Amino acid sequence: MTGEYRVRLEIFEGPIDLLLYLIRKNHFEIFDIPISTITEQYLQYLDLMKNLNLDIAGEFLKMAASLMEIKSKTLLPVEEEKSEETADPRSELVQRLLEYQRFKDAAERLSEKSQLGWHTFTRKGAPAGSEPSEEVIEVSIFELLDAFKKILEKFPSEMVQEISRDKITVAQKIDEVVEKLKNSDRLRFMDLFQDAGQLQEIIATFLALLELIRLKLLKVVQLEEFGTIWLYSTEKIKGADIVKEGALNGSQ
Amino acid sequence: MDLNDLKGIIESLIFVADSPITIDELKNIVDGANRKEIEGALEELVAELNSLNRSFCIEKVANGFQLRTKETYANWIRKYLNTKPARLTRPALETLAVIAYKQPVTRTEIESIRGVDSGGVIKTLLERKLIKIMGKLEVPGRPLVYGTTRDFLELFGFKDIKDLPTLKDYEDLAKELMDKKINGIENMELDPENNSMIGAESKTEKDEKMDEKNNSKEAKNGSN
Repeated sequence: MTGEYRVRLEIFEGPIDLLLYLIRKNHFEIFDIPISTITEQYLQYLDLMKNLNLDIAGEFLKMAASLMEIKSKTLLPVEEEKSEETADPRSELVQRLLEYQRFKDAAERLSEKSQLGWHTFTRKGAPAGSEPSEEVIEVSIFELLDAFKKILEKFPSEMVQEISRDKITVAQKIDEVVEKLKNSDRLRFMDLFQDAGQLQEIIATFLALLELIRLKLLKVVQLEEFGTIWLYSTEKIKGADIVKEGALNGSQ
Repeated sequence: MDLNDLKGIIESLIFVADSPITIDELKNIVDGANRKEIEGALEELVAELNSLNRSFCIEKVANGFQLRTKETYANWIRKYLNTKPARLTRPALETLAVIAYKQPVTRTEIESIRGVDSGGVIKTLLERKLIKIMGKLEVPGRPLVYGTTRDFLELFGFKDIKDLPTLKDYEDLAKELMDKKINGIENMELDPENNSMIGAESKTEKDEKMDEKNNSKEAKNGSN
């Protein structure tokens, strides 16, 4: 398939974020998480990431292990008398999730504050901190993976065993996406996959997308949670040469 | 000293200062006035400037006073300065929040809350001078401890570190997780380069939002 092409994920969120995402998506009650359902879904995401050749950070695997440990504990019969003293095996996880959510929330409130060098300025002009730095990724990787999963599900399954004709490379797809974004300022995520004929092509397109995000050539934005995903080109995309260079470096 | 003189002196000092000027600093320079007089003059100065409805005002940030432009003019200033968005990434903001509330804090503590390696983000924050190394913890391994800087207070316009909003408790967070619909994304400018879009076409943006809703419904039905 896309062979040695690997996309690094370190700029994206970690396992706790993934769990919180799944909880919100399923409307689970945080103090009563159906542990086997969430473990199953969590592992599905891990599989998906693996299939896409994404480097999965060790933390994701560690979390998978502790989820399975909790699951096995909940399956053990609890003695009636002891049950009240024995803590819920999930409580430590819940604690971690909430503690993390607490700071995630604090971070969100920070980002809503009026910032020097963006909303307000001093006589100095731009403050020292405002050299170009990383761009914000508005949509989380999980949201993207979710959207990608939906596309895969729609794809006829008998086409999975594809006789490889012309090999579609990620680099090719990067060029294509760049071309599309040059013509229009924004694209719908779904539209990228509309005329994909092979599964290989879909995967290559998705990897191209991740690479472009990593290179900060495009931004992925949603106007409401779980809404339509939009791709916006950043200024950088106008220099197509940078794209190829960057893509090559990124694949090493 | 005459109050009007004092106000003039203070205003001129705030005007030329590179960073928020503190009452102590003012007191050292204006030797003819005591702390109380300076505070009184400052208060009047702030009120006067506000009543004039100018494009800037004196704000109390990072334990000092600073002239800052009002948000209404941000687009024009950005256009003039041609600055790139210096906004922090989600991981950076998260790490910064952990450090701000938990300081002095070690990297291990940060990582145990975030659940991911945070070395790279800490480095970025150090480079941007939003955090600093406060010392070493007197435990085996003597790990470094981090804390926020004055630049951090200035960036977000906090009066001092106590000005940080209180953290939410678990129950509220749990409730929010259940019925949270919209996150901060809506508040972000989609296209910082194109100033006209943000200002002039706010109506169409709203219309688009309506489209978004319809589209997402379509997407869910699988007809997209």
